[in-house]
Amino acid sequence: MNRNYIFLTILMIVLAVGTLMLKPAKQLKQIEPETLLKEIVQPTRYISTDEVAKRLIQGDPSLLLVDVRSEAEFEKYSLPRSLNIPTEKLMADDNLSYFGVPGTKVVFVSNDDIKADQTWVLTKRLGFNSTYVMKGGLNCWMETIIDPVEPSPDAEETEFKTYSFRKGAQMYFTGAQVDDFNDSKVEVQVRRKEKTSVASGGC
Amino acid sequence: MGPLIPNGIIGGGWDFVIAILLGVAFGFILEASGFSSSRNITGVFYGYNFVVLRVFFTALIVAMVGLMYFDYFGWLDLSKIFILPTYVTPMIFGGVVMGLGFILGGFCPGTSFTAIAIGKLDALLFTIGLYIGIFIFSLGYPLIEGFYNSGNLGNVTLTDVTGIPAAWFALAFTVVALAAFWGTMIIEKRVRKNMKEYKF
Repeated sequence: MNRNYIFLTILMIVLAVGTLMLKPAKQLKQIEPETLLKEIVQPTRYISTDEVAKRLIQGDPSLLLVDVRSEAEFEKYSLPRSLNIPTEKLMADDNLSYFGVPGTKVVFVSNDDIKADQTWVLTKRLGFNSTYVMKGGLNCWMETIIDPVEPSPDAEETEFKTYSFRKGAQMYFTGAQVDDFNDSKVEVQVRRKEKTSVASGGC
Repeated sequence: MGPLIPNGIIGGGWDFVIAILLGVAFGFILEASGFSSSRNITGVFYGYNFVVLRVFFTALIVAMVGLMYFDYFGWLDLSKIFILPTYVTPMIFGGVVMGLGFILGGFCPGTSFTAIAIGKLDALLFTIGLYIGIFIFSLGYPLIEGFYNSGNLGNVTLTDVTGIPAAWFALAFTVVALAAFWGTMIIEKRVRKNMKEYKF
């Protein structure tokens, strides 16, 4: 009997038994493509910057802002009380544990809403509910909350209401002061009447 | 990392080049294993030569166990590879036809080309028959189309069907294959004792 055959037989059995010890890779469960498609076409996943600002001001504890931009961008500017989870690191560490907590709403924030939308799709595929996207992202945040544009005088009343809210939010987030009224700086000059000399005239 | 083409590590245009290289390697191994001799191949049915069984079973268990380790080490994602769809009855029927052709002709399609490469006349006739068979099948396809596509289970694996982890199948196949190696060695010895003449 050939010794090589015996050796190879033993080797093959050891290797085959070894496959039983291999731990299968963790399979992430995904929702059905049809369900995802139905969710994607719904505009309800968007939350406006006004809504986010309102909740931030109110200190809503159920709101969790997740900034999906890179760490460098996050360092440069970020919304108050927001958490930085770059899209690339979504599955890393224990980042997924932030999602799907009952009673919390996760809102994804990026520069525009493309990256936030991508992250939303990823979390949706993984079956997490109550995740949202801040419509327009930080660009829209800058335009609406940080630097709101005054509506034209003939605009509707609701626009003025929104504007005044935004102005208030601007003060809250940037610490801007109320514009001083122009006339407050006018110095009041007191003119004193010259005293008339009593003995200036007479008949 | 792998599979290389689906993961975009190499371009899709390379598949023909890879196919040619693999084909050359496959042909070389077939010839080197003695598969260009119809006597060797049909020996399985008469019990005097089990080289076909040994070569194919070796390839099977090495590839099977090897792929599982590749998957574990992250070199090849087994969930991304193509799995041939299973058609139960047509496959059983096709297996019987193939087995009959194997005994009658002394070759399987691949080995017949290997044998042509070393200049065997019987293999040449076999391949002519092979092409006539393909031609008849193609012409008669509308008649058997229903049966051909029946019993489709889709791209399933044994694990999908039974729910038993792939590792158990790997172990079972390995044990069966190794038992077959040793068992057929004994059979070969006994049968060859009674043979007056044995040539490859």
